[in-house]
Amino acid sequence: MKTNYLLPNKFKKLGWVLFIIGILGGIFMYVTDFEPTEVLKMKVLSIYDDQIFGKPTFFKIIENEIFDELVSVFIIVGGFLVGFTKEKIEDEFIYKLRKDSLVWALIVNYSILLVAILFVYDMVFLNILFFNMFTPLLFFVIRFSVLKSKYLRDEE
Amino acid sequence: MKNRLKVQRAIHDLTQADLAEKIGVTRQSINAIEKGKYVPSTVLALKIARLFNESVENVFTLEDND
Repeated sequence: MKTNYLLPNKFKKLGWVLFIIGILGGIFMYVTDFEPTEVLKMKVLSIYDDQIFGKPTFFKIIENEIFDELVSVFIIVGGFLVGFTKEKIEDEFIYKLRKDSLVWALIVNYSILLVAILFVYDMVFLNILFFNMFTPLLFFVIRFSVLKSKYLRDEE
Repeated sequence: MKNRLKVQRAIHDLTQADLAEKIGVTRQSINAIEKGKYVPSTVLALKIARLFNESVENVFTLEDND
């Protein structure tokens, strides 16, 4: 089965490591009400910065604590590597499971978001929006893994 | 779609894993096809039929509700 967007299987392990570290980091940030520390503070390039009471600036070097950026990058890159690397044997059936999982994840994700938009307000809603940056990937990876293991267990 | 994959495998004395290896797919795919949970692509159906020296219609047949 020829596919043009899947990476080699060897990246899958790296993907899982990044993905799990990222998610643990995200959970840590959420439960500890993470406050930026000095440890990971560094100069970063900001394409557009709109400071409160300040003038908007473009392409400026600013100081920023990068723990949250690291967590996000780990989850997104890790999730993509897990979902979009080839299986050991990649065939059209696995390809279909992957596509079905993607559709499933998108439907579930936006159904939840729709309910949240209608019935959840204020800070809780902001939290849901924050999670929603990652839930499409998370749901996809979980669903894909579940389907794969389901068919793996399916004996003759 | 109905299929006679299991029968054909028995005739040629092949396990799901044997067939999967010869065709270049996973055993899970063969299993899913046999159970009617997955309809293979035309290419895969042709490959399977060729391996059994049969025409595709002798392995896969349409059902009334297809």
